[in-house]
Amino acid sequence: MSANIVTIRSLSKIYQQGDINVTALDKISLDIASGEFLSLMGPSGSGKSTLLHIIAGIDRPTKGECRVQGIDVAKLNESQLADWRNQNVGFVFQTFNLIPVLTAYENVELPLLLTRMNRAERRKQVETALEIVGLADRAKHLPKQLSGGQEQRVAIARALVTDPALVVADEPTGNLDSHSAQEVLGVLRTLSHDAGKTVIMVTHDPKAAAFGSRQIHLEKGELSK
Amino acid sequence: MNLPSFILKNALRNKRRALLSVLSVAMSLFLLVTLQVALRELTNPINDEGSSLRIIVRNKVSLAQPLPARQLQTLDRIPGIVAVTPFSFYGGLYKGDEKFTSFAQFAIDPQRALPLISDAKGVTKEQLDAWSADRTSCILGKMTADRYGLKVGDRMQFTGQIYPCDLELKIAGIYYGTADDRNLMFHQKYLDELLGNPGTVGTWWLLAASIAEAPLVTDRINKTFANTSAEVRAESERAFVLGFVSMWANIKTLIGGISIVVVFALILVTVSTMSMAIRERFRELAILKAIGFKRRELFVLILAESFGLAMFGALIGAGGAWVLFNNINIQKMTSGMFLMFEVTPQMLGLAFAVAALLGLLSAVLPMINVARISVVQGLKTLD
Ligand SMILES: Nc1ncnc2c1ncn2[C@@H]1O[C@H](COP(=O)(O)OP(=O)(O)O)[C@@H](O)[C@H]1O
Ligand SMILES: [Mg+2]
Repeated sequence: MSANIVTIRSLSKIYQQGDINVTALDKISLDIASGEFLSLMGPSGSGKSTLLHIIAGIDRPTKGECRVQGIDVAKLNESQLADWRNQNVGFVFQTFNLIPVLTAYENVELPLLLTRMNRAERRKQVETALEIVGLADRAKHLPKQLSGGQEQRVAIARALVTDPALVVADEPTGNLDSHSAQEVLGVLRTLSHDAGKTVIMVTHDPKAAAFGSRQIHLEKGELSK
Repeated sequence: MNLPSFILKNALRNKRRALLSVLSVAMSLFLLVTLQVALRELTNPINDEGSSLRIIVRNKVSLAQPLPARQLQTLDRIPGIVAVTPFSFYGGLYKGDEKFTSFAQFAIDPQRALPLISDAKGVTKEQLDAWSADRTSCILGKMTADRYGLKVGDRMQFTGQIYPCDLELKIAGIYYGTADDRNLMFHQKYLDELLGNPGTVGTWWLLAASIAEAPLVTDRINKTFANTSAEVRAESERAFVLGFVSMWANIKTLIGGISIVVVFALILVTVSTMSMAIRERFRELAILKAIGFKRRELFVLILAESFGLAMFGALIGAGGAWVLFNNINIQKMTSGMFLMFEVTPQMLGLAFAVAALLGLLSAVLPMINVARISVVQGLKTLD
């Protein structure tokens, strides 16, 4: 539990836009302990999403190193990376990103279609995940039949259904009213406290950040504290 | 849920659009098949054994030039011929018709023609005898009889269009079961009489002893009349009809052109519909990528969806044409212009090949886009 799940060393991300270079991340070093609930804060444009994307393996660093569970994610090819994400990372985004034509159950089941699990095994996993987010009774609902907070909880269930070590959430409460936000944050905290997941949450809302076990701040691509 | 049901749900996500694209594929392919059937019907003459056995001898100069009636004695002596009869296209206007008569009237010698029309059914021995005996009688194809509500014993009047004489004929019998059940057959003798015995016939119609013999017979005939005052061209009935058919070459080109335009328009419509359907889902596809779906799997999703829609359209369109044309009486519906309206396996094959091409082509653009875009870019398309 206490070992570091994420180790980042002198990580830089530089976007090239024509002649100018935009430095989104500037030689960042960071350790994240296993089971931690990390709140990543900072103003808009400070590089929060970029950092999260690199950790989660959907973006690649320009320089430096980012190891997750000892694996240098940037060294994996596209296909290996896809498998790695499927097994190790759960994603929660600001907009809920559920597939509108699939029920809550089917949305949660989606990542499992890529595994070798049979129907019964998948069912068990999906039901457990929906149970954790408190939506077992909404399994048959379509996204449009759910409230924003419920949709986001379904998205969280989808993120944890493969039982990944790492759950990343980019402004998961950004589109929610405060009551729904509380529910979602509560679920994320449960994930790290009770299920032992490492949760990394980007937010610029201090109240949301307070749910985390640790808060770090990004400022113009650098960690400020 | 499994992947196929996910694909199905994706395809049906916008039900109206799915329906419209399936219908546009279906209707275009229905049109394509119909065009192909019509084309085949117009350019593919009846090809049975009989049409290779039967030989038509016409004036070498042109079909419009008559042949001397005295050629008959010479023809009778040429080996390999079972039967030979005068065969003159009267081409009159039937009194019941205003401008255009859709069936042909041929002047023949009933006795001599019997072996040539042996496949005709529905005419009794007595009727045949009565026909032979009465110069002013005729036998009529059942399709024409049905069309005008004619029965045995009725009289038909014709105004001459090619020959300067009118006809009144009594129906001695009504036949069916031949390659073309529309024609009317009457006495060459009667025509001669009305014309004042000019000593000519339109063409000769004859039956070869065997298929093997047929080409030899045409050869002998052509040689026999070479360097006479009336040189002839003998050819199998099939070749003769094919000569007519070559007049349809322009129509063939036209129909071919229309078919290509149909397919092309269909491709444009389908490709743009499919790219639209996928572009709307770009963000979702990015999410799927993030979740662990690989390019290959996303390709399968897209391809299966576009392929499925196109194939479903083909099933309705081409299958519909097949069922429809198998179950309607095209002879009745087109008043005998088309004898049979047959959808061949090749045409179905063509329709499904076009559909497969459609499915493939309309998936290409979305697949390229999906392959190119990264998860991060995809997420930004709405954020
Ligand atoms: N694809 C890109 N091309 C160029 N610049 C980018 C791109 N993505 C992000 N940036 C820049 O990188 C910086 C950090 O962006 P981001 O990580 O999205 O910030 P945050 O999530 O903290 O708002 C911003 O200045 C942004 O303009
Ligand atoms: Mg951001």
